[in-house]
Amino acid sequence: MYRYIIKRVLLLIPILIAVSFIVFFIVDLAPGDSIDAVFGNELSTEDKETMREEMGYNDSLLVRYARYIGNVFKGDMGMSVLFKKPALELYLNRVPATLKLAFWGIFIALIIAIPLGVISAIHQNTFIDTLSTILGLLGMSMPSFWFGLLMIILFSLKLGWLPSFGNEGRGSIIMPALTVGVGQAALLMRTTRSSMLEVIRQDYIRTARAKGVKEGVVIYKHALRNALIPIITAAGTQLGIALGGTVVVESVFAWPGVGKLTIDAFNARDTTLVVGCLILTTALSSVLMMFIDIIYAFVDPRIKARYSR
Amino acid sequence: MKGLRKERGSSGFWGEVLKEFKKNKGAVTGFIVFSLIVLVAVLAVFLLDYKTQITKINIPEALQPSSWKHPFGTDQFGRDILNRILYGAHYSLLIGLCAVTISTAIGSMLGIIAGYFGGLVETIIMRTMDVISPIPSVLLAICIASAFGQSLISLMLAVGIVTVPAFARVARASVMSVREEEYIEAAKAIGASDINIIVKHVIPNSLPPILVQATMRVASAIIVGSSLSFLGLGVPAPKPEWGGMLAQGRSFLNTSTNMTLYPGLAIMITVLAINLIGDGVRDAMDPKLKR
Repeated sequence: MYRYIIKRVLLLIPILIAVSFIVFFIVDLAPGDSIDAVFGNELSTEDKETMREEMGYNDSLLVRYARYIGNVFKGDMGMSVLFKKPALELYLNRVPATLKLAFWGIFIALIIAIPLGVISAIHQNTFIDTLSTILGLLGMSMPSFWFGLLMIILFSLKLGWLPSFGNEGRGSIIMPALTVGVGQAALLMRTTRSSMLEVIRQDYIRTARAKGVKEGVVIYKHALRNALIPIITAAGTQLGIALGGTVVVESVFAWPGVGKLTIDAFNARDTTLVVGCLILTTALSSVLMMFIDIIYAFVDPRIKARYSR
Repeated sequence: MKGLRKERGSSGFWGEVLKEFKKNKGAVTGFIVFSLIVLVAVLAVFLLDYKTQITKINIPEALQPSSWKHPFGTDQFGRDILNRILYGAHYSLLIGLCAVTISTAIGSMLGIIAGYFGGLVETIIMRTMDVISPIPSVLLAICIASAFGQSLISLMLAVGIVTVPAFARVARASVMSVREEEYIEAAKAIGASDINIIVKHVIPNSLPPILVQATMRVASAIIVGSSLSFLGLGVPAPKPEWGGMLAQGRSFLNTSTNMTLYPGLAIMITVLAINLIGDGVRDAMDPKLKR
């Protein structure tokens, strides 16, 4: 088992290094740099040019990348021109808010998805099934940021129940988490439904029914428990995706997470911070997905057996 | 040879897929709605005048509620929201279709090359895909869009490139499943060139899963595209792209619900129609895929 974990961790390092190069390269393609963005009118063209020379902006891409990655291994991801603080520190300060949002989002998604998926599987091809399938399709087809905006109009502006932005005060998490959750719920509902449909047809379910076990117990104790593994795996993957995908939601609700930081960095052409944010977010979601794989391997004896020699 | 291939299923297979698709009520509804949207998008571009009916500023009529004259009301510059939505339809459709065409073309080509030749070529292509895919797709798209500057083309490229790895994987998997078939071996035996085999045998036979993937991806491409426009990285104002219209509506949430409600609804209906078609295509082809 440990061999499996070590293998997964070791595999992550070269991938992240390659990711950092690609990100560095693409960001470098963008016109304009942070010196232009910050000192646009304050400094003369010559002064800006000297500054670029001093800060090594004029070196070739490979030289700058080598210098960057060398510093990264020393724990230094550069200074943000926008905030005048180390990029790593800025990022780490924002991580808890994004994690909170992603976890609550998936939690809400599961609360919506599991009951709906189970009900539509039990009543396959009935009116209830069709209705929840349509609901799922609507959830999948809705741009999440639009749903968020509509909630702001209703719950903050018209009813005044919830704060429309930020991560402070009671209930501030509700709307952002719902926005993340509703889109995810649609996908998870589909997984729940198909996983339940598969399990319901198994022999042990027929045996349980034949023994005279109550239908409710059959469904929730025997069937759902077995159907849960693919659902949890899907939820884990969704969580990884949510971490990188909360950018838009964070921007709608001015949520102080890493997505908002990335967008702010982009708008200010703060390339050091942009590169840092992208690499760290990729690392964060990859590590999370790796954890889920490892947990999954622990739970599923078939995977465990393959690596426990 | 040609006759043989035809009998094998080209027309028979597609005929059956069409029959299955037609049986699916949701898919047919989706197809009708989508056709209507395409029709409206094309008509709007020809019938509405961009300068006077779409972008002309008319402050006295700003932020009006729904009325007979302006069914969806007007925006902060007094422009008719309904007209702008109708005219904006072609941006979203273009983004969705072109982005997916880009990713299908590049992704499938890479996947087919990797799957057919194997070895070092495969390792290089697939490892590159492994490196691109863990980068969260919205972030990568933002990155690419800003690298190419704010325009419709750069938005299409950004949304397209992000999904290349997904297509490469699907194409490679399906090529690997046909690679060992006897008819490929037979073609090799009679001395057909690699290009010939790929074009005549491998591509037609690995097309179904790629097509299913492509239909599904049009829907998500439209959503990602409008998200980028919403963040200010897409089609520049005053062009009435739906995501961009939502971004403008944000400053007027208090005064005008219309500016937010209708563009979003337009995105949702379009994406819903495509999702219905996608589900239909998948269900119609799936039994054959399992063969």
